[in-house]
Amino acid sequence: MTQREGYEGAWSTLHAPSIVILFTRQIDSEVLHMNGFLVRVVVVTLATMLCSTPFAGQTNPYTATAEPPPMSKAAHVHITQGPSLELANSTAVIVRWTSNNPGGTDEHFGVVIYGPDPKNLNEVAKSHVRLNRNHPYTVFRVRVDGLQPRTTYYYTVDSMEGNGTRDGLKSPLRHFTTP
Amino acid sequence: MRRTTIILLCVLCLVALGALMSTRGVSAQNATAVPAPIYNPYPPGILPTDLNSELARVLREVNLIETEAIGQWHALPKPTLTGNPPILQNTGVASVEVLGKLMNFDKNISPFNNTACASCHMPYAGFSGPIPSVNLTMIAYPGSEHFRAGKRTAQRYTYSSYFHPLQYNATQGAFFGGNFWDSRATGYLLRDPAGEQSQFPPVDPLEMGNPDTACITYKLSLAAYRPLFEEVWGKGSFAISFPPNTASICATPNGAAVFGGSATPVMLSAADRTKSNNVYDHWAQSLSAYEHSLSISPFTSKFDAFLAGKYTLTAAESAGYNLFRGKGNCNSCHLDGRSTAPAPTNLGAVDTGVAADTTPVFTCFGSANLGLPKNPRDSFYYETTPDSFGFTPNPAGFTYTDFGLGEFLRSGYATAPNPNSSWVQFAATSDGKMQTSTARDVALVPPQCPTTEAPGPYFQKEFFHNGYIKSLKQLVHFYNTRDVYPFPVESGQCPAGTVEKVNCWPSPEVPQNLDMTVGKLGLTDHEENLIVTFLKTLTDGFTTPYPDINTYTGTCMTGGNASTQGNGTLLSAEELRAGAGAR
Repeated sequence: MTQREGYEGAWSTLHAPSIVILFTRQIDSEVLHMNGFLVRVVVVTLATMLCSTPFAGQTNPYTATAEPPPMSKAAHVHITQGPSLELANSTAVIVRWTSNNPGGTDEHFGVVIYGPDPKNLNEVAKSHVRLNRNHPYTVFRVRVDGLQPRTTYYYTVDSMEGNGTRDGLKSPLRHFTTP
Repeated sequence: MRRTTIILLCVLCLVALGALMSTRGVSAQNATAVPAPIYNPYPPGILPTDLNSELARVLREVNLIETEAIGQWHALPKPTLTGNPPILQNTGVASVEVLGKLMNFDKNISPFNNTACASCHMPYAGFSGPIPSVNLTMIAYPGSEHFRAGKRTAQRYTYSSYFHPLQYNATQGAFFGGNFWDSRATGYLLRDPAGEQSQFPPVDPLEMGNPDTACITYKLSLAAYRPLFEEVWGKGSFAISFPPNTASICATPNGAAVFGGSATPVMLSAADRTKSNNVYDHWAQSLSAYEHSLSISPFTSKFDAFLAGKYTLTAAESAGYNLFRGKGNCNSCHLDGRSTAPAPTNLGAVDTGVAADTTPVFTCFGSANLGLPKNPRDSFYYETTPDSFGFTPNPAGFTYTDFGLGEFLRSGYATAPNPNSSWVQFAATSDGKMQTSTARDVALVPPQCPTTEAPGPYFQKEFFHNGYIKSLKQLVHFYNTRDVYPFPVESGQCPAGTVEKVNCWPSPEVPQNLDMTVGKLGLTDHEENLIVTFLKTLTDGFTTPYPDINTYTGTCMTGGNASTQGNGTLLSAEELRAGAGAR
């Protein structure tokens, strides 16, 4: 648990309201025991009126920014690392791989095509990632849920743009067995 | 003592005289305070013990800034309306911004004259939640009827006006823009999401809680700053015949059974209703002008100075920045405006990047499901019984799941109607998604509590939509290790031998559409700290003092460490189910 500590009044820069507050704190010790609240309210009001600074009136010169158009697509998307399992339990795994930056839409998905029959990969799992335009590579991570315990699954991977266009990744067939 | 008394009486007389001589009358509006009934469905320990004193403290600060704003209004030069279309020459910009400020700090807009917009959005917190103990515990702020409270954290105003109207980008296959965590302030009418955002809380039953938007018009017509409103928006703005029972209706919170579900209990003619709607739009546009002004979104951070070549990042800040845009991959969503950067695998390389955007807003304007666990501390879960007005804020209790953008798109529970039927089809693929906030000013705190991080002295903030995360260290650690330490439990139930938020992350509240850009970044503990150091460079006020930053009169917190900050207040979901809202 945290503890609270007392008020600290050492402020580096002061604006009108803070000056008011400090001012009232200074007189507190002298008069608050006498007139209390009313006195404080009056002094705060007066000091604030006196200290109030003119409004800057400078509208921010910048305008709202729209998201930029998609990047150019990479001529060839290829895996540089993986795919492999990052995490596995009896009902779910995370498949991870790295490819060169595929380009296209920033909104992207990693895709795992999987199934217990290596000749009939009949399930698809997709996970969202957002491309970093400044990175030469992209890490894809896909959660595959709803698996059966102690079962061997075969899988390949691909990636696709936000609108569903596949990147056409050439992936080796891999397999894993859930615990 | 007698001499002091005389002096003070003189001061009192001077103030009274000054007020009488004021050419623009600063008289208080008919703020006959009606004692608000208390709604407290919470089990012991849910509301922070200092809640009442802290609400009073914030209200004093709000009043102080409102007084300051009145002074700023009075300091404006005499207006000159000229040209065609007519424009307030020289003073128009300042006038509408000051008007927005006056509205923002006006507590009399609320039914019980006790809650301003600023009550949940104070400058010293980057215009987010100003009460450390609320940020630490119940996460949402009490509305005008204490203690009805919402379900999410108060988002920062800063740079919210840079979000364009909500749109579905078919190429990207995703939504961008809007305001609010669930983007329900779409901007579909005013084309200004920040403006439309300001139209929700005044009538949200869990916030200000006016029963009718016409109540805001009515209260503006009584406000001390009405002359400024008319100066900006027209003399005839308030030529509306309000029925005699308007004050009574507007002093009754939204949701009261007496209204029978009507959103327009103030009976106005069609013409007057249209005028009132126009006033409410002008309320929105004035507040948006204030939010967009240099008073709130000024681009005065260290990072801005760095982009301008007027500041050299320290070694730690620079290393943090390289991690932010490299190994951490933070700038894939929190765009930093750099066109190129050293390869993430070559962090020692010289920065050859150029600024493609000299004013990056550090957001992609999109939404993502980051997989935050449900926060059993959220006061919304406990509001399962009716208040004295017959209103039950959350009949669903703890079964409520916050689907964010997806829930809004289907016009679902505890959100707003979706104005575009073509968006409904994307609800399922948007479930769990919350707006990507700007990273700017995430670390902005009062000067006397100079950090968000324990051991401090620090100002307790809350992060993400449900405030589950209590420090920037935790925030970065969550991104870094969500999928390294996943446990199939809810908050408060991490197994023995683990520490929640350190090496145990409870399951996501919404498992669908989980964002996998993050979750296992491979950052070391030191690298996490460096990113936190960099985030602090995004705090405005470095090149120019941040307006009204020094208005905090509360206390700082100390002790503990940033990794486990707030863990002492964790509440088991099981306890919650046993105590409230179980269905």
